[in-house]
Formats: sequence, structure tokens, C-alpha cells
Amino acid sequence: MSAEMANEIKLISGRSHPELSDKIAKRLGIQVARTISLNYSNQETSFTVGESVRDEDVFIVQSTATGDVNEGLMELLIMISACRTASCYDKKDKSRAPISARLVANMLQTAGANHIVTVDLHASQIQGFFSVPVDNLYAEPSFLRYIRENFNPEDCVIVSPDAGGAKRATSIADHLNTAFALIHKERPRPNVVGRMVLVGNVEDKVAILVDDMADTCGTLVKAAAVLKENGAKSVLALVTHGILSGNAIETLNGSVLTALVVTNTVPLGDKVQRCPKLRVIDISPTVAEAIRRTHNGESVSYLFTHAPV
Amino acid sequence: MVRNIVVLGGNSHPALVDSVCNALSLPPCNRILTKFSSGESRCEIQDSVRGKDVYIIQTGFGGNGSRLNDHFMDLCIMISACKTGSARRVTAVLPLFPYSRQPDLPYNKAGAPLFKAGSESGKKDYTFDSVPATPAPGIPKTAGLTNGTDITSKLLKTSLTNGNGVQSPIKQNGDGYFPANGVNGTTTPSPVTRTGAYTTHDYENLSHIGAFQAKPGYKQWVAQAGTLVANLLNCAGADHVITMDLHDPQVQGFFDVPVDNLYGRPLLKRYIQQHIPNYKDAVIISPDAGGAKRATAIADSMGVDFALIHKERRPTKITDRQNASMMLVGDVRDRICILVDDLLDTGNTITRAAKLCKKEGATKIYALLTHGVFSGDAINRVQASAIDKVVVTNSVPQDKHKALLGPKLDVLDISPIFAEAIRRVHHGESISVLFNHD
Repeated sequence: MSAEMANEIKLISGRSHPELSDKIAKRLGIQVARTISLNYSNQETSFTVGESVRDEDVFIVQSTATGDVNEGLMELLIMISACRTASCYDKKDKSRAPISARLVANMLQTAGANHIVTVDLHASQIQGFFSVPVDNLYAEPSFLRYIRENFNPEDCVIVSPDAGGAKRATSIADHLNTAFALIHKERPRPNVVGRMVLVGNVEDKVAILVDDMADTCGTLVKAAAVLKENGAKSVLALVTHGILSGNAIETLNGSVLTALVVTNTVPLGDKVQRCPKLRVIDISPTVAEAIRRTHNGESVSYLFTHAPV
Repeated sequence: MVRNIVVLGGNSHPALVDSVCNALSLPPCNRILTKFSSGESRCEIQDSVRGKDVYIIQTGFGGNGSRLNDHFMDLCIMISACKTGSARRVTAVLPLFPYSRQPDLPYNKAGAPLFKAGSESGKKDYTFDSVPATPAPGIPKTAGLTNGTDITSKLLKTSLTNGNGVQSPIKQNGDGYFPANGVNGTTTPSPVTRTGAYTTHDYENLSHIGAFQAKPGYKQWVAQAGTLVANLLNCAGADHVITMDLHDPQVQGFFDVPVDNLYGRPLLKRYIQQHIPNYKDAVIISPDAGGAKRATAIADSMGVDFALIHKERRPTKITDRQNASMMLVGDVRDRICILVDDLLDTGNTITRAAKLCKKEGATKIYALLTHGVFSGDAINRVQASAIDKVVVTNSVPQDKHKALLGPKLDVLDISPIFAEAIRRVHHGESISVLFNHD
């Protein structure tokens, strides 16, 4: 048995998003490792590894199910630490970093993560919190492909719903060679959202809103209304993480958005059935490819600009 | 009024926070601690903590609609927030330390290993005097009782006595069990028999088990979360940890910071002296060998007899009679039994111990425990058990348990102990006095 054979990829799935883990495993041509995680009746999380991870490359896939972020995070920490004590050689995981990012970053390292693979961090500066390598993958290549396959880029305008996301949106616009617009939120006083002002021209164009996260969808829906008022032919939104909490689905269904395109970084459950406007792009090829490349010590940066076939 | 001190409470036990604050004559720190709609914790400390000595009270208890892991994350976020807010020192006060029990084999409630080795599964047929089979694929289950005949109770009466009369719960369809009392001379009628299938652990639930089966020949590695929890608290920035009656005192060694492990023992002792008539003639019993030290300490200091229940929880070989090895060492006939332990979780250990004591001729059975978690169906189990009185502290919220158990449950207040510990730690005084005062 060669040295490479001795060091294989072990994919461990958290409870938050088994579908994604399955897809990644399928893509990698391996099986998800035999583990079980559950809660004792006193709600403590218990995690059991059912096969040897000694000297293996362990990748843990955990996302954040809406409303259960802390459960998922705690489970992830326990899984990392369990594999650590079971003498595994290396460890990576994928998670979306929440607000208390600094603390979470420290916790992941405390638990023993050697490498973090994540998709579209809300603020890329969060990478700086970690002293282990962080591969922040982008959903952008998948979005670019979606736009190219479904629209004529000439007819589109890429719109950023707030100034903070302008960079993300301009990057897409540049790649497609299309026009770009920005919605500026006036804040007369703190916590009071004032008017939304559109900077740029969207008349008779397909306006494509681009953002990293759709939570309650309030901003997106308001932005869509502004775009419609300004003469956009149709409005759709491309968002990496479809958290869709609260009554986001109802808000979306009643909005002028023709479609909301999200990736499956967050489990969507029955939301696809409840919202006819919701489309899902599968992100698992990108993540699987990143895992494969990390495992083999190849460059991951190719994935920043190209979506795997 | 203690100066330069801030007491910050989590959401897990507001009543304890209030009474600790009362005892220290300060108002609890104003904070916002909720969740964003996405489920992430939102924490804002609204009072200044700059240069202050901050004590954060959060107990390791999930229930009443709140989640244990949420509370733990909240605690870490609060510690980190105070640290960022230039607090001089942050002390985590955890009356019940979460994840302090660390099984190295997955156990089900009957104390049997949860998973059999892959090669053994499916070989044996299920019989009623065997322990419940592991709910895993390939392991036979009892036939569903769909025809309405009460076969289970008949079988209970005939074939459930093993070695010394302690029965293992009967499993039905993998997700429920019948509390097997009314058998073997225990006459307490069960109010809960056959009222649906209430679950105990997730282990019992087939849907949680999924297709899990360890690779043959591989010893499963169960996560030992105790060290992790300690590391995470360190990582969040806790400078000091105060807790009570750690299940394993060794957990203190996981920390790089000082850990003060307070004892609930003086409270329990006072209860015995004040509320149990003729306590000098009673027997103090430890329901398992691990708690023997705790029980002997109380027994010795009061000059009361001691007995031990020996429970084989770690079978080296998996046999189907592993629950038969529960035995009482000591004499309890015609005496009052006082069971002493640190934690009541699903209540299985303590109720089984009580049953054994009753069978050995005890007149009255008290159960004294520091932490009354009452998870799963513990309330029903305790209600139906031979225990006459359960005494717990309010290290976790007890209002609901009290409402359900009524006069069977007595709750001791630990807030004075914690308030005094906080005051002494703040002033840099010795807290060892709290360990041995009566």
C-alpha cells in the first residue's frame, strides 16, 4: 500500500446539512464516514466516530441551520475535538462564520481545526482572525455561469443593494462586461432606514441584485421595488447564503422579485416548495474540488475564478 | 454592597441570578441577550464593565424551551464581550457544569453499551429477560403490540426477575418503555404505565440512529467534550471558573485558570439534620461506586451508617444479563435510607437504587442530589419510584419540576453559597471555609 493510500480523505457530516455532505462525498467518489451525533436527554451533544480517523485527512462539513446556529456550532466544535483526540493528522471544515466571528474563529482553533474552508465570508477580513489557513471560496463563478446560461449579459445590470457589497457586485459586472448600479440607503438617524436611492441606470434592463446573505429579505425586497420603480424590466437576486429566516418566504412571495437564486450552503428544507421564486445552485462541486485540492496540496485559487464542471 | 463588581446573568436561570444579586445587594447587569432571526446569539452588555470584576452566571441546563448549547454559546459570547469591554477579570459561574460527564462508551439508560460490535448484531433473538437490544439496523425488535392484548404486562409479571430482582426496562418498538413497577413486591401503582411512548435518550429513537454502524473491529470513539468545554471557556477569556459538585473533580485539571469547585454537601447535611427524624439511625447510601466518596464524607461527619450499591456499568463482555449485577453492600432492613448522589439526569440510577433498597426492607427512602436535571422522562420515573422524597438544589431551575412533583420534591437554595463565594473571590479571601462549614 503506497503512502498516499494510507492518508485518505474522511468526510464527516454534521447534522445541519447532510444533503450537502452527500453531494460532496458523491463528487469526491467517497462515502461519508460512519459517525453518529445526537443529543442526550439533558441536551448535551454527543458525537461518536464509527471508524478510524488516525492519520487521515478529516474534513467536517457543517452548515448553519436556521434557528439552530449554536447547536450546529457546538456540534462542530465537539466533532473537531473528537477527531483531534482520535489522532487524526489534519482537519478542515467548512462553516459560515457568524457575527461573533472573532470568538468563533478562536473556538474553532481551540477545538483543533487546522484549516478552514468556507464560502463567501460576510467580511473577508474575518480570515485575519484565524492563525490557520482559511480558504474563502466564492460562489461568484457559479453565479457568473448561471447568468451566462440564463440571460444575455448585454441586457443585464448588476446591482448592489448596499454600498458594502459594491465590490462583490462590480466584480461580477466586470467579468460579464455589463453595466453596474448601486442602491444607497440613506440613514437619517441610527436604526431608521430612510429612502433608498438608485445610483445608475436600470431602465428596460434585467436588474440582478447581488448579495452574500439573504436573511429576512427586507432589504432585497425594498431594493427590488426601487429598481422596478426606476423602470427595470425584471428584477432577480443572486445571493450566496439563503438563510431565509423569519417570514422571508412570505416577503419574497409578495415581492416584485421574479426569482431569488441561492446556493445550497444552508439547508433550505421545504422552502423551495413554499416559494416558487426560489432557485438553488449546487455549490457542492466547488467545495468538493476545494477539498480534493487541499488534500492533494494543489492550488485552490483556480476555484476563485472558475466553477468546476 | 460590594463595589466594583458586576453580576451578569445568562438566560438559563434568571431566578438564581436575582437571588445571588439580592444577597450581594446589587442590581444585575443590564444586558440584551436574545437571538437574531437567523438563530445567531445577540449579546449587548449595556452597563460599563471597564475595570470591573465581572461574574457571569449561566448554568448548564437546557429545558423549558431553551437549549443547553445556546446557553453555553451565550456564556462564551458574554465572556468575550466583557473581555473586549475591558473588564478587569471575568469569572464564569456555572452552578451545573455542562458536559462534565464523559462516557467513553455510548450507554443507554439501562447502563448497557449502546452499540454492539457489528459481528454480534442480529445473531440473538430478543427475549424479555434480556436487556433492551440496541436500536440499530439489523438488530431484532419486539413485535409491535397492535392487537390490543396486554401481553407486555403478563410478561412483566412472569419473566422479568433476573438475579436479584432488579428489572431492566422493557423496550417496545424501540422508542418507549414501561416502568416496570408493581412487580417484585414494590407496590407503588404506576400512574404512567402505558401512557404513550415517552422517550429518554435520542439513542432510543431509531430515526436519530439512522444507518449508523461502526466498522467491524473498530472501537468507536465517543467525543469527550469536557476538555473541549474547558478549552472553549479559556479561549473565550474566562479568568476564573466557579462551579459546584463537579461530577469528576478532575475536570478542574482541564483548565489553565483557577477553578473553585463548591460543595453542595453542607446544604444536604443540614437538610438531613433538620428534616429527617432519627437521622442517626438512618443509612446513607451511594447509588453507585463512583459516588462512594461523596456519601462516606457525609456519613462520617454525622456518624451515620453507610451502604453502597454496586452497579456494573462497564461490562467487559457483552452478555444479556449485565443488569443483574446491581447489589447492595450493607444492611438497610427496617431503616431509613438516604441516597446521596451528585446528579439526577434521567433518574434511572437513583430509582433503581431506591427499588433495590425497598426490596431489601428499607422503611423510607430519601434521595438527596445536588443537581436535579430531570431530563427525559425522569419526572414520571421518580413519581412512580419507591423514593419518598427527592431533595435537590436550585443549581438548575426547579419551578417546573416542583410543580410536577409537588410535595415529593424539596428544593434547597444555593444562592447564598454562590453569593458568598463571589464576595470572597472578589475580595481575595479564602473560600475554603465554604467547603467545610456546616
